[in-house]
Amino acid sequence: MIDEPYRWVEAIANRREYIESELAAGSPTIALSCEEGILFLTFGKDRKKIFEIYDQIALGGIGHPGDIERLRMMAIELASTEGFARSVNDVSLRRMATYSFSPALKQAFEQVYGAPYLARLLFAEVGAQPTDDLFVTLDYDGSMTANSMGAGKGRDHFGVISGSRRSAEQIAMFLRKEPVEPFKSALATAIKAWGIGLYSLDEDHSEILSDDELKSFLKSQLKDYTLEAALLERKPKTRIAFTELNDATLQAALSEYEG
Amino acid sequence: MELLESNSANAGDFVGVLRRFGILREQEHLKGTLPVAETQATTVLAFKFADGVLVAGDRRATAGNIVMYDRADKVLEIDRHSVMAIAGSPATAWEMARVLEHSFQFYRRSQLQEMSVEGKVRALSKLLRDNLGMVLQGVGVVVPLFATYDDSSNDPAKVFFYDAMGAQFEAVDYAASGSGGPSVRSILYYENSWGKTPLRELDQNSAIKIALRALDTAAEADTATGGVDRQGKIFPVIKIVNQDGITTVSYDLLSSLFNAALPLA
Repeated sequence: MIDEPYRWVEAIANRREYIESELAAGSPTIALSCEEGILFLTFGKDRKKIFEIYDQIALGGIGHPGDIERLRMMAIELASTEGFARSVNDVSLRRMATYSFSPALKQAFEQVYGAPYLARLLFAEVGAQPTDDLFVTLDYDGSMTANSMGAGKGRDHFGVISGSRRSAEQIAMFLRKEPVEPFKSALATAIKAWGIGLYSLDEDHSEILSDDELKSFLKSQLKDYTLEAALLERKPKTRIAFTELNDATLQAALSEYEG
Repeated sequence: MELLESNSANAGDFVGVLRRFGILREQEHLKGTLPVAETQATTVLAFKFADGVLVAGDRRATAGNIVMYDRADKVLEIDRHSVMAIAGSPATAWEMARVLEHSFQFYRRSQLQEMSVEGKVRALSKLLRDNLGMVLQGVGVVVPLFATYDDSSNDPAKVFFYDAMGAQFEAVDYAASGSGGPSVRSILYYENSWGKTPLRELDQNSAIKIALRALDTAAEADTATGGVDRQGKIFPVIKIVNQDGITTVSYDLLSSLFNAALPLA
């Protein structure tokens, strides 16, 4: 029946609606340029959501854990084989996202007899300067946005994914007003940005929060969530840029929301 | 896109991934002999001292009676705490080092945990075993040393040596490999048993001095070992592995320690 064009479009639309509803509760994940590198941050409830992919590339994902796992493994294999066969300098997020991930996701999404990926991904690749940092988001249908692949438009110094489009937009609006900061301030900024994103995930929350309201909202939420963050260092001691932030750093960053 | 192996014994196996992608092939059984002399690298040593493990290698690579290169690096960093020192065919050894380096990273990234020291030691053993076909043809033989630092162990500094088939042996105090290996081994045995201070109690500078002298001595009777080239200002590569990771001893320090130790300087 879905051989007919109209049926196919209908099937795709249903599929889109289903996936969007599955992703709707996804906690925002933020990658933000700072002077020392790229800060990756999210709050989760049970599982790990920020991963190292290669020397300079990290991944954050929301969606079904099984699908994120498959995509994560694909990314690690692509990057590792490229780095082995050629050179670590030839591994590029731009190529990986454009030539491998986008087509693969689109194909899985549009083959209506097969299962699509229930996942929304955020990749970041750290550069020598904050202006060289690359952020790529990929959606379940293969659609892709990047902060800097086209010429002429303003360059964001962050990337974000969230359960809903509105939530991601609210975070982006907030982060666009912030400059590139040192790591510590960037961590505080990213926590606030996450709070704004979580708040606007609720469709009834249309208003923009004041600083005090945001603080008390975060305070009320942090009982249920655990902070997870990592840094892709701009000038690492070895080639490997990815480090997970330790508990002491995370607790210090959350201290103003305690009690 | 079908690549989930998380439950199998192959989980996190990078060599398997390389084979699947066609980048690494199963050992081919080639016939014939190499029409030119094979390049060889020689004389590496590793021993435990008070602050960790010292790994050193001379710089010479030879092919028959020809010196191919006098700045070869035979002491290769594999990950934050592991060093592989190579004697034998650099063509195979550098490739093995590349496979190992990527294997350990791949395992850590995909399985979200560090590979155990036993796992790492075994991974190198497996590569040597896979190379046996070449070795039987008379080319590509590699006899490496592997040094690492294992925080979880009571004796955290670790040194392993191998034979060409991949048997792995853990050294108590020291190990040496390559054509100058027997001389170096005698020197280290002497220092450890009859010298003023056992190797394990040496401070870093004394350890470096002994390594330099041992390689210089090995070069005296072995043309394939570069030793210390005072005129060309070429010193062996020496790396220290300890809790903080790997450090390469600087040229200036090597130079000043070696010259201070010379009787006529």
